[in-house]
Amino acid sequence: MTDAVAFKPESPAREAWRMFRRNIPAMIGVVVLSIIVLATLWGTFFFAGNPYEIVWAPHEAPGVAPEFLLGTDYLGRDIFAGLVTGGGPTLAVGAAAAAITMVIGISLGALAGFYGGWVDNLLMRITEFFQVLPTLLFAMVLVTLFSPTLTTIALAIGVVSWPQTARLTRAEVMKIKELEYVTAARAIGAKNRRIIWQVILPNAAPPLIVSATLTIGVAILFEAGLSFLGLGDPNTMSWGLMIGSNRAYILDAWWPVTFPGLAIFLTVFSVSLIGDGLNDAFNPKLRER
Amino acid sequence: MSALLEIENLRVAFNTRHGEVTALDSVSLTVNAGETLGVVGESGCGKSITALSVMGLIPSPPGRIAGGAIRLAGEDLTRVSEARMRALRGAELAMIFQEPMTSLNPVFTVGDQIAEAIMLHQKVGHAQAFRDAVALLDRVGIPSPDRRARDYPHQLSGGMRQRVMIAMAVSCRPRVLIADEPTTALDVTVQAQIFDLLNEIQRDFGAAIILITHDMGAISEMADRVAVMYAGRVIEEADADDVLDHPQHPYTRGLISCIPALGKGDTELREIPGVVPPLHRLGAGCAFAERCAHRNGRCDSGKPLLVNHGHHPAACHAVQEGRI
Repeated sequence: MTDAVAFKPESPAREAWRMFRRNIPAMIGVVVLSIIVLATLWGTFFFAGNPYEIVWAPHEAPGVAPEFLLGTDYLGRDIFAGLVTGGGPTLAVGAAAAAITMVIGISLGALAGFYGGWVDNLLMRITEFFQVLPTLLFAMVLVTLFSPTLTTIALAIGVVSWPQTARLTRAEVMKIKELEYVTAARAIGAKNRRIIWQVILPNAAPPLIVSATLTIGVAILFEAGLSFLGLGDPNTMSWGLMIGSNRAYILDAWWPVTFPGLAIFLTVFSVSLIGDGLNDAFNPKLRER
Repeated sequence: MSALLEIENLRVAFNTRHGEVTALDSVSLTVNAGETLGVVGESGCGKSITALSVMGLIPSPPGRIAGGAIRLAGEDLTRVSEARMRALRGAELAMIFQEPMTSLNPVFTVGDQIAEAIMLHQKVGHAQAFRDAVALLDRVGIPSPDRRARDYPHQLSGGMRQRVMIAMAVSCRPRVLIADEPTTALDVTVQAQIFDLLNEIQRDFGAAIILITHDMGAISEMADRVAVMYAGRVIEEADADDVLDHPQHPYTRGLISCIPALGKGDTELREIPGVVPPLHRLGAGCAFAERCAHRNGRCDSGKPLLVNHGHHPAACHAVQEGRI
């Protein structure tokens, strides 16, 4: 047989991973994020301290007492304890909000892009309606209307940030549905539902994965912003809450605000590095520029 | 005996910014089981639209079947429900596309894609479907099929991919197999292999094949009967040998004289002057008149009908009047 090709099978996902591994900033992002996630897991499940407990004098600087490495806040609570236990809720809200964003955005965007016509018109007008609302204000209204728990905060962030994902998904679906393998799938008798979920969306996955990653970063910032404004869940320690409750004393003590701020910065930054790395891995043409 | 697939007076219209244009006009074709019908014509003649109509895949809107019937073993496909059409697609009607490079889903292995096609129509589990897929890959002449089944489309050459497409198309033993320019994107040597394969498949499975092509060489190799299409109409139809040896319509004559023959000393490639007219500018007369050397007043005033003027049916006033 003349048309046999002999090279090692490599799936598109594997190829992307190979590209990703060579991307040094992205790998730094992976390492930093892994450390943050591991520290958070440790803090959530194994850390014995209580972040709400007043353990020492207020506003003790970092390094003064070896057992309170990062100092204490305005009530004399341990900052380190707050960091490792507050990471869980922060990351969970970020991930949940990103998941909600992706579920709403991908579903509506896929339907609009695939069916077109009046479905597209209706869904896109709804999307535009959400898009023109000032997102932070709208989220604040939602959180204020319902009691600020982690669930409502995640929902509020999800509800205000899906329009972008919907637009991205719609554009991808509209592009892919015209391709020949979609017609070929129809020609073997596949249903619309199957074509959307098993033919079009897997091919639209790369930009959506990138967008999901970046959405996690945005959602974490959002949660921090809400907590900073005093709209976070007051009963759950989170990095945003730490910044929010200590912000009045920032001129007297820099550390109660700086360390959780750094934690947020590092998390969002490493997530963005990973997102960029994924983008490059999925779009080799972009990278070569 | 009535034919397996009968297309009768099919009219397909598209809404465009030039208003409604008729892409297919009173197209009638029949194919019997085990027979290969060649459909020839230049780009834009309605060959692919004919194929998509049979599959029920005319993009709608803007397109619609505006009249006529497509009967598969007596069942009018223009009237059946979408659910019934889906059940027929893949199982009774299958299609091979022009571009094997783009007609396979890039994110799944070819084995999985064939298995999916099998599972859509047969109640079998994935493991069994995958084994069937490997057997089909073996059947279409792919070496070490169990390994290739785990490859992704981009790892295969064009010829291999077209073999995969054929394996997928015949996975449920369809009664009608439509091949829309299956070899256009392939090397000449691979073309011959694909035609051999299609012939073998037809012998084994007894399927009727509709071969859509602009390549008269492919017709002479594959087709039992030929329909020549021009601007959405069938302008000549007969047994392949008759059409090739005694073309009636000036357009068919043109197509055949354009085949370069080796060793005849022709130094120039011949061509038919002009292009297929845009469908929205078709007038009352013969659509080929502008490019025809035998044109007279009658050609501009009325469309010729597909009738037998002696040898076999052709739609041409000049043939009817015995001028050529």
